[in-house]
Amino acid sequence: MTPQDITKLIVRVSVKDRAAFDLLYRQTNAKLFGVCLRVLNDRAEAEEALQEVFVKIWTKADRFAVSELSPISWLVAIARNHAIDRIRARRRPAADIDAAADVADPAPGPEAMAVAGGESEQIDRCLDELEQDRAAAVRGAYLMGESYADLAERHGVPLNTMRTWLRRSLMKLRECLER
Amino acid sequence: MSAVDENGPEHGGDDAVAAEYVLGVLPAEERAAAARRVETDPAFARLVERWEADLSPLASGYAEVEAPAAVKAALDRRLFSNAGAADVAPASSGLLSSLTFWRGLAIAALAALALVVALPLLNPPASLPEARLVASLAPQDSDVHYMVVYDARTHDVGLSHVTGERTDGRDFELWVIDGQQAPLSLGVIPAGASVHLAVDDALRRHIASGAVFAISLEPAGGSPTGQPTGPVVAAGDLKTI
Repeated sequence: MTPQDITKLIVRVSVKDRAAFDLLYRQTNAKLFGVCLRVLNDRAEAEEALQEVFVKIWTKADRFAVSELSPISWLVAIARNHAIDRIRARRRPAADIDAAADVADPAPGPEAMAVAGGESEQIDRCLDELEQDRAAAVRGAYLMGESYADLAERHGVPLNTMRTWLRRSLMKLRECLER
Repeated sequence: MSAVDENGPEHGGDDAVAAEYVLGVLPAEERAAAARRVETDPAFARLVERWEADLSPLASGYAEVEAPAAVKAALDRRLFSNAGAADVAPASSGLLSSLTFWRGLAIAALAALALVVALPLLNPPASLPEARLVASLAPQDSDVHYMVVYDARTHDVGLSHVTGERTDGRDFELWVIDGQQAPLSLGVIPAGASVHLAVDDALRRHIASGAVFAISLEPAGGSPTGQPTGPVVAAGDLKTI
């Protein structure tokens, strides 16, 4: 399915076309479930979250028309935001942090690299300009939805230090992305 | 260090908050505050969207995992369980606490309301009952609500404005969606409490029970592309009355 096909499906969903919704679900549930699983690190909760994500897609699809994101990025943003809202809202057992850290894998697999293609080069190039541990913190936060508290714990630094550190990295990234 | 200091320009200001929000690192309260700003502050929303786009290639790091079939089944129940009014039939002691029952009742009430509100639209009153369809175009993330009656004999769509105003300089456009086909425009809805749109020959066959009417917010004069370009503000299924 091309991005254009996904765009058409989202537009049809925005006018409550259920067949389009079913097809959109078939085409994208695996990616969005992958997002929920990685962030929530709990299968039952990820299944619940995925349902809620698609309820949002059904009710808010019209908003895609005013977004400049690619269709799949728009869908992933909904799933990531929702999954992150869920972990911020729950009291997270300490074991989960360790488990999440264990599966941390800053490097995308070869298949993912191929899919991302040229578009990923700029962000990768800019992350490469950061110190290695800071680039890893940005990637880890993005993929796993880690909070400042999680990151501070994992990197063994005070929370405020972590925040200053990551903000500087983000501003460096912004500078690089604008070059 | 106060929140003000942290968010000052020397630390990146709004752009840094936007980045932190997209990355997801903010604690719950700050995250909720940023989410509210996205809704109310267009400049901040643009910063968020730019970070979302810039960081989106990182999403290639998410593995694809097909969700179990039960998830889609549960999702369909959640979204569409009010589809079968027949569910109401097997009355039981639990009837009054049944969500399906109340949804069914809500639909019945809406259909009745549609009739009452739309009665002034029904002229001449002698039109064939089976040639009439109604829809309650319920608000979708908006307060826009219209009742619609389609008279197949006179090829007339009557719209009764219930609530919701156009934002300045923009128009409401009415669409019909027939099954899996792309939305077809029925035209810009004239301002007024009770208005009519004529339906041309080509569009008539797409207007039937089960089709969906939707209203989108468009530039003045209607969508420039022939497809909805703005948000859908109201939508509903056509039902025979």
